[in-house]
Amino acid sequence: MSFLKFIIKNPFRRKNSAILSIVGICIGIVVIVALGGITNGLVSTFEETIHAGGADFSISGKETGGSAYGTNTIDANWTDKIANVSGVNEAYPIYVVLTSVGDDYMNTLIGIDPNGTALADLSINEGRIFKDNASEAILGKIYAEDKGLSVGDSIKIDGEDFKIVGIYETGDSNMAGGVFTSISKVGDLMDDENSISNIYVKVDKGADPQEVADRIDAMYGDNITTVSSVMEMNQMANMLNMLQASSWGISLLAIVVGALGIINTMLMSVFERTREIGVLKAVGWSNRKILTMIVGESLVITLLSAVIGSIIGVVLCSVLCPMMGLNPLFTPYIFIQAFGIAIIVGIIGGLYPATKAVKLPPTEALRYE
Amino acid sequence: MSNIVEINNLVKTYENGHIKALNGIDLTICEGEFVSIIGPSGSGKSTLLNMLGALDLPDSGSINVAGYDLVSNKNLNVFRAQKIGFVFQLHNLIPNLSVVENIEIPMFTSKLSNSEMRSRALDLLDAVGLRDKASLKPSKLSGGERQRVAIARALANNPSIILADEPTGSLDSKTSTKILKQLIDLHRSNNVTLIIVTHDMDVANLADRVIEVLDGKLVNAGDNSLLENKINLD
Ligand SMILES: Nc1ncnc2c1ncn2[C@@H]1O[C@H](COP(=O)(O)OP(=O)(O)O)[C@@H](O)[C@H]1O
Ligand SMILES: [Mg+2]
Repeated sequence: MSFLKFIIKNPFRRKNSAILSIVGICIGIVVIVALGGITNGLVSTFEETIHAGGADFSISGKETGGSAYGTNTIDANWTDKIANVSGVNEAYPIYVVLTSVGDDYMNTLIGIDPNGTALADLSINEGRIFKDNASEAILGKIYAEDKGLSVGDSIKIDGEDFKIVGIYETGDSNMAGGVFTSISKVGDLMDDENSISNIYVKVDKGADPQEVADRIDAMYGDNITTVSSVMEMNQMANMLNMLQASSWGISLLAIVVGALGIINTMLMSVFERTREIGVLKAVGWSNRKILTMIVGESLVITLLSAVIGSIIGVVLCSVLCPMMGLNPLFTPYIFIQAFGIAIIVGIIGGLYPATKAVKLPPTEALRYE
Repeated sequence: MSNIVEINNLVKTYENGHIKALNGIDLTICEGEFVSIIGPSGSGKSTLLNMLGALDLPDSGSINVAGYDLVSNKNLNVFRAQKIGFVFQLHNLIPNLSVVENIEIPMFTSKLSNSEMRSRALDLLDAVGLRDKASLKPSKLSGGERQRVAIARALANNPSIILADEPTGSLDSKTSTKILKQLIDLHRSNNVTLIIVTHDMDVANLADRVIEVLDGKLVNAGDNSLLENKINLD
């Protein structure tokens, strides 16, 4: 028999107590793994959104009060002015109007330059992007599903038949259920070629969006205003930071509760085996060996908990999260964290009972009834 | 014959000196000798045995066992592992380990490999006639068999001295005699010094020398001269 096998066998002598400790630590590990998976999932969706090529910020008319999708319009020549501001890489206008769409008497129709769809954070899910100035439209996936429309169908917009050429998805929830066509087509329908609603701006690579936005505000602040999506991002980032912090808080709680539980279990185990520890001393085991044995037993419990807890955490999260519209993402770091915590709890939990066992004089231990 | 135990004026007290468990003991024991210690309950027999096995330290006096000065030596666990084999009144076997695994426990202090440990443990079980019980848990054994396993465990690291504190105190007299014969045989065949604490005069008289303890003192250190003509067991 190896020393390791001896250590692994020992914690299961008191099955109920071992199981109770395992359940306790397991709960902590499940929470850490599940919360870690959810946080990671959110972070990765968030990062995808940022890096999808969406605009850094948008520009709207002063009187719209900063709403990104206001129906107030500005003059179309603002697009060229903004495009010429230093630091601006691309500037594409959108024109948002209310008109009859399909069987809806009033709905939003958004016009955008076919080349500017990436800036609006649209990604084509099916089909293609509309051609400029053509009677073609793309529908948000949510809208298309809702109305039972698909690529190839036609839809009446402002009394005119449009061909549905594509279905898009977007990280921007304001536009997920909308209908897009080219901005020149919208101008046509509205008989108004000189109005736009907003301008999407992407800054040069390496430029700070906030600085460029400030520059535009300084130059044209009397007439237009910048709506920084960076600000929304910051809010999102704050929320994620909070999630991550609470994940750490829960980890800490798990450490404290887990350590208390395991100390209790190991203390009882050491107490019950007082005579036995006396025998181990009598047959010549060193204090260090006895210490290793007890801390080892504690680690067996916590590591087993980490394995079980990780499996339960992943399974639970994979089943429940999609129901809540969340996409968990499990990275190795989460499991490193879970096992790291298990090891810390195991060592803390075993050390105190172990030192108590080691301090006991062998004769006392052997006299113990 | 050289002395394996040399004790001078050994004193051990408990409860802040109120209990004088050992009150000035002088004793020498020869290598390979079989000594029995008798005396009433509470007279200090176990305390003396614990001193010999370095399970506790004396208050004063000197004690030298198998070349180790037990007062000054700091590696008493090495001494216990290599020089001493204990047999207690209660077998003190570990319940969740098999019989053979129990015998391997002292060998964790040695450099033996797992397979060497196993084969040595099985040899020792052979010697006490329990090889066929090797894989059983101690709870499946009779009281006498458990004590024989404890004897095999005491021999695990090939000790110089076996210290047995009333090893058959909890067994009936027939089993008791059988086990003691086995222990004495092993003492002879392994040439290991054997020190037994016992209440039983029949057992005590099998020894080369009988030492009597009373109130922490030796009232009779026994006759060393009988050493040469050992009592024949059969
Ligand atoms: N650890 C201890 N703490 C307090 N008193 C003890 C301890 N060990 C032994 N004694 C006392 O020392 C005396 C001798 O005990 P012991 O050596 O066990 O006697 P014996 O083995 O001859 O029955 C007794 O009075 C006993 O109560
Ligand atoms: Mg006693």
